[in-house]
Parts: sequence; structure tokens; C-alpha cells
Amino acid sequence: MDNRKFEELLLSVQKPGRYSGGEINSVIKDKEKVDVRFAFCFPDTYEIGMSHLGMKILYSQFNSRDDIWCERVFAPWTDFEEVMRRENIPLFALESRDAIKDFDFIGFTLQYEMAYTNVLNMIDLAGLPLKAADRKGLSPLVVAGGPCTCNPEPLADYVDIFFLGEGEEVDLELIDLYKEHKKKGSTKQEFLIEASKIEGVYVPSLYDIKYNDDGTVSEIENLNGAPKTIKKRIIKDFDKAFYPDKFVVPFIEIVHDRAVQEIFRGCIRGCRFCQAGYIYRPVREKSVDTINHQAKCLCENTGYDEISLSSLSTSDYREIEPLLNNMLKWTENSYVSLSLPSLRIDNFSDELLEKINHVRKSGLTFAPEAGTQRLRDVINKNVTEEEILNTCKMAFSGGYTAVKLYFMLGLPTETDEDLKGIAELGQKIVNAYYNMENKPKGKSVSVSISVSTFVPKPFTPFQFEPQITEAEIRRRQEYLKSSITTRKISLSYHDSATSFLEGVLARGDRRLGKVIEKALAMGCKFDSWTEHFNVETWKQAFAECGIDPAFYANRTREYTEIMPWEHLDFCITKEFLVRESKLAHCEKTTPNCREKCAGCGATCFGEGVCFENR
Amino acid sequence: MRTVRVFYKKKGRMKFISHLDMTRFMSRLITKSKIPVWYTEGFNRHIYMNFAVPLSLGFEGLYEILEIRIMDDNFTNDDCLAALNNVTVEGIEFMSVCDQKQNMKDIGFAEYKLYFDNIPEKLEDFLNSESILCEKKGKKGKIKEIDLIPKIKKFSIENNVLDIIVVAGNEDNLNPTLIMDTFFSQTENSPLFYSVERIAILNKNCQIFE
Repeated sequence: MDNRKFEELLLSVQKPGRYSGGEINSVIKDKEKVDVRFAFCFPDTYEIGMSHLGMKILYSQFNSRDDIWCERVFAPWTDFEEVMRRENIPLFALESRDAIKDFDFIGFTLQYEMAYTNVLNMIDLAGLPLKAADRKGLSPLVVAGGPCTCNPEPLADYVDIFFLGEGEEVDLELIDLYKEHKKKGSTKQEFLIEASKIEGVYVPSLYDIKYNDDGTVSEIENLNGAPKTIKKRIIKDFDKAFYPDKFVVPFIEIVHDRAVQEIFRGCIRGCRFCQAGYIYRPVREKSVDTINHQAKCLCENTGYDEISLSSLSTSDYREIEPLLNNMLKWTENSYVSLSLPSLRIDNFSDELLEKINHVRKSGLTFAPEAGTQRLRDVINKNVTEEEILNTCKMAFSGGYTAVKLYFMLGLPTETDEDLKGIAELGQKIVNAYYNMENKPKGKSVSVSISVSTFVPKPFTPFQFEPQITEAEIRRRQEYLKSSITTRKISLSYHDSATSFLEGVLARGDRRLGKVIEKALAMGCKFDSWTEHFNVETWKQAFAECGIDPAFYANRTREYTEIMPWEHLDFCITKEFLVRESKLAHCEKTTPNCREKCAGCGATCFGEGVCFENR
Repeated sequence: MRTVRVFYKKKGRMKFISHLDMTRFMSRLITKSKIPVWYTEGFNRHIYMNFAVPLSLGFEGLYEILEIRIMDDNFTNDDCLAALNNVTVEGIEFMSVCDQKQNMKDIGFAEYKLYFDNIPEKLEDFLNSESILCEKKGKKGKIKEIDLIPKIKKFSIENNVLDIIVVAGNEDNLNPTLIMDTFFSQTENSPLFYSVERIAILNKNCQIFE
């Protein structure tokens, strides 16, 4: 592309730094000297994609090999997309500014369902046919990983290969196989059939789906020797897993603009609504020394002055206090601030609070998820009201005056009583502040309640549950709003239409592909952005395709029903999910992995929390 | 501890980075370089940095100046230059590190080059007018009318390039974009694309500022 022209165009759009590339630690290689070019695509803006840890890990890992050049690609914002389409600029990679249609791999990370239109839009912007079957050559191969691949069926007709589970090993195995086939001059089909034999590689075109008259799946047939079920991959020795010693440091401000140190994968808790709590099992920790060393390296190589520890539940790290002690030794001397997201209410100690006090003080955030003990038992959120209040009191006496609480609305079995419970809990927290003996003079308390809408997800015990309708979501939101009577509590909630579409796509099947394609053609993209999301257009797309979205979102699914993702094995057995579903309806909790094994199926990996000494 | 001036170029891809983003970038680059710099003593401690004159997004700068403080007297200016160039990115080239000579307050002008594909014929006459009145938003959002002519020290036009020296610094500052925007809006020329280079920062006597 003509550089001068390109720069002129960049200066005509908002935030040109999104597209300019050249950041600290971005990797430039000689394209003549690499065998495989990989375009790592995040189907959302630069600011969101650059905040994503998985991309940083794989970018560094791929580029640690001399034969691979991995580059980054983000969804251009609508102003730049307009320019690109007008000037016939195909989607390009940030590092080389080369068109990605000439790459060997175009890899997407699927973090949330609302990005699906962006995935298709990016394939289109690259100048490629949307449908996998219409892309005849061996390359570029469109591949995808990330949590949504636990049910990627809505994108099955558009993506050549999905990676199930953690990508660090399987991605490279696939790239090696590709190199062999590229040399041999194999056809795409020959390569895909061989690829399907790698554990964790799901080639959707090698599966034929049949349906019953009522619309449910009747059979999933494997073709051409593809395995009957595809098992997800995990990194077994997680302490030795690849971890980047540097991140690309963006110029423009991104959502999470700091170093991030992963401390463990998986979660012991088993909250029944939480997909991440199941699909990343079993829990595997890194050692204190590994974490400390990696974190220090990262800060030195990026120049970041803030580092955050990352996991699904930071305070569940068994040696959190020794870890913080070790880290504070160097962070304080080098003016690096340490932040701890994802703390749990029930094991939040005075000591931990004191450690956090060494770093920059912001508000504290906790997630009780439901307003009454009954409902918290249903969802297996094993925290009590007493624990919540104690933690808040501890935080208040530690000098905090703002607390943020996350709840969900529309959980299975939820009644208006449970919603009222949210307001009452908020009020009790406010009271706890004012009843405190040595409360700071003249300082008011602020309790923010943020309410998201429950979306049933595959591989959770709630995968069988109906999602409440949009109208009912709105009624419950209004009810909750009317239950809050004090100004000390501020309430925010999610858009009901977004949750509804997310629910449809999350448990959807292959027939939804054409709806996504239709919606895109009608102008839907950036659906996770409220200013772009247009539910009416989506509804029209469903209608024109003759598909009833309620079939996917609002229907109770029988335990015996074949789910669209039945051939994907995330090592969470259906028997376990049914057992948990029944316990939920009896309002019975299940102990966490460290207390007692619940027999979910994750022991098959022979690693992690399942084999810790108890 | 001593205060030093770092002279650098900002070119290529880097011109898309705004001044605010540059401050964050420089702070990270300095941390990465391990230069023993002084941190401010405030509540949120950060690296002391003083940029001579901010450069607009979209401009290239061939003579950019940043001031930092070095704690360790054994760490020479050359050490500092080497450390910065060791960690820099494409588009930022550190040219020299010197002890501070003139006061930042002495900055008076900056010299820019504007490159056109076809420079508008009327531009020369326009710049030779007795006054160029235009509206400018003040700091408090108040719109006031100002005359640009007293803020233009001198200019020349040759080979589709406008070379212009305008006031710069803390007290008064003129962005050449304002001149061109006024030109395009007050004449019948439709806006044209041009690229901008700031080639020097000058003191009040129009000599190179060091």
C-alpha cells in the first residue's frame, strides 16, 4: 500500500493509533525467512483486544519460533471500515501492513458471542468468501479458539478449524502439520482430515448434523474418520507453561493498560451459572517463585508501573500471602502498583486487606450474585450474608467508603423475593457503614449494585434452563429499581435485548449461521457496543431466515436432549451436569474441589486440584 | 541529581501518537531503559518529565525535547543516550542528551515545514496580508477573535513546501493547522492534504533552543 496515502487516510479517522502499529515489543520479522504467517484476529476494537491475556500469550509463543510470524489484527472501528471499503484497502495486519488474505492462518479468538458478526465482517474485509466451503485453497485457513469454542456451532459453516481448550500446545501441533502439508502440496480437504486426528482440533465440516421434527438435534455424524467426540486440551504442567516475558505495550490507552500475571487456571468453586468455572477445569496453579519471577520480568520489559494478578478467583490461590510478600519486596521499590481483582467474599482476610493497602486504593468489588441465601444455594455461590457483611465491615474499617457488588437477574427459580433481597442486602451494607463506631466524619458511603442478566451457557448445570424473556427481564429490572429506596445505593443493569441474543447464540446450532450472516448484511456489527446494537434488525434477520430465537433461549431442554455441542468433550460429564442441575432445584450446595471431589470428569487429565493432597 | 535534556525525532508511525499518549509511552520507555531517573514525590509517584513543546497528532518532529532528572551522577549523558536507543521503537530516534543550557521559558518560536502535493497559489498572498483574523477557542471554551499575522515570524514557499516560523511555548503558541484551516475557510480553496514536520524549536531570539 502507498504509505503516504495510507497515512493521509489514517489521519482522517478517530484514534489512528489503533491502526498504526509499531508499539514497544511488537515483533517485526523478515517475511522471506518465515514459513508460516499467522494473523491473530481479535473481533473487537484495538483497546479491547489488546487487553486480552490469551492473545498476548499466543502472540509471544508463536513468535518465539523462527519459522512463524504472528501479527495482530483488530476489528476496525466503523469510521475506518468505511475508509477501507471506499479505498479498497483489504484487512491488514498491524506489524507488516500486509493483507491477511495472503497469510497461512487467520486465527480468531472467540471471547463472547456478541462478536460473531465482527468475525464474519473481518473475513469479508479481508476479501475472502465467508463460507469455509467457498475458500478452496489450503490457505488461508480460518481457525478459532477461546471459550466460545465450547459451542462454536453458529460459526461452524464459516470457520475451518476450532481449537478446543487451551491453545499453547495444540496450535503449534497444527501449524507443524500444516507445514508438512504445504510442502507436500496437499489439498485443503486432505489437510483437514489429518488435522482432525490431533486431540483438541475440531473440524466442523467433518460432522453432519441431523434434526428431529421438533427442531432438536437427532444425530451428530462424524465423517471421513474424524473422531466421534473431540476432547479439549489443557496444559498439564502449568508451572512450566509458556508465559510471555514481554507484552506489546500500546501507545493509546486500552481497557486494561497494565502488566498481567496469570497465577492459576480453572476455579474450584463450581458456581452453577459460570461457564468459565467448568470449561477451564481442573485448577492448576503456578508456584510462588514462577509467578514472582515472571511478573518481575514483565514489568522490566514493558515499563508498566502497574501489575495485576489474574485468575478466576485470586484469593483461592493457596499461597496468596507468601506470594504478595515476595512481590511487594520489589514492586514497592520500583514504584509498581499491584492490583488484585477477583477476590472472594468468604476468604478475604485482614492480612490480605492490609497487603492491598500497600498499593493504590480504589473501590472494592465483590460478587454475591444473588440476593437471598436460598438463591445463592441454588447457584452454589457458597457465601453467607454474614460473610458479606463482615467483609464489608472489614473494608470500611480499612478506610474504604465505596463497595461495588455484582448480582445476576433471571437466575433459575428466582422470585421477586430474591430481587427484593438484593435491595435489602444493599441496605444492610449501608447500615453496617453507619453503625461502625469509628467511621470517618463527614464521609458518605457508596454501594454500587451492578446487575447483569443470567444467560444459560453450555457445560454448566444450567444449560438445560430456559432464559427468561426480554419482557420479563425488563419487569424484574423495574421491580428491583422500585425496591431500592436509598440514594446511597446506585443501581445499574444490562440491556435486556443484548442478553437475549447472547442467550440464543450461546446455545445455538449450525442453523444460526445464516442468521448471523443475514444480520451482518443488514448492518449489524459491534453488537457488544450499545451504540451499535440493534435488536430490531436482528429480529428481522431471524424472521427472514424463518428461525424462532425463542427456541434456543426460552425453552426448557430435557436432560435427554442431544445438545448441539454433544460431540465436544470438555471433560465435564453430562451425568455430572444433570446431577448438579437436580441439586440446584433442591436448593442443595456442592462443596468446592478442595473440600470434596464432586466427580465432574476433569480427573481424566491426571493433573491439578484433583490430585492435590487433602 | 541533575536535569538533562533529551533530543529526539518523532517520525513515521509515531506521528499517529498524541501528546498524552507520548507521555505515557516515554515513561514506560524510560522505565524499560533502567536509567536512574528521579520520581516525583507526590501521592502517585511518577517519573519527572517535562516536554518542551507538545507536538500535535499527525506531525513529525525532527527536534523534540524532553527534560528528565538523573539521580546517579556517574550515569553520564552518553550512558543515558545509549540506554534510550537500546529500548526505543521505530520512529523515535534519540539524537543527544545534554545538560540543560537555556531555560524552558526562553522558548519563543518553532519552525515547521508543510509539504503539499500542489501548494495553493493564493497561500503566499494570504500570508502576506496585513492581518489574518480567525476565531480561536480559549482555554475556558470562550471563543475570541485573534490575528495570526503577529504570530508568524517569517515564512518562505518553495517547491510546494511552506517553511514557516511561528510563536511557540507556554505563553503563546500557534499551531500551523490553524493558519491552514483559516486559509481554506477564508479562500475558495477546498481543504487539501499536507504533511507537517516541526524542524526546530527556537528561543526568543530565533536561535536554536538547547
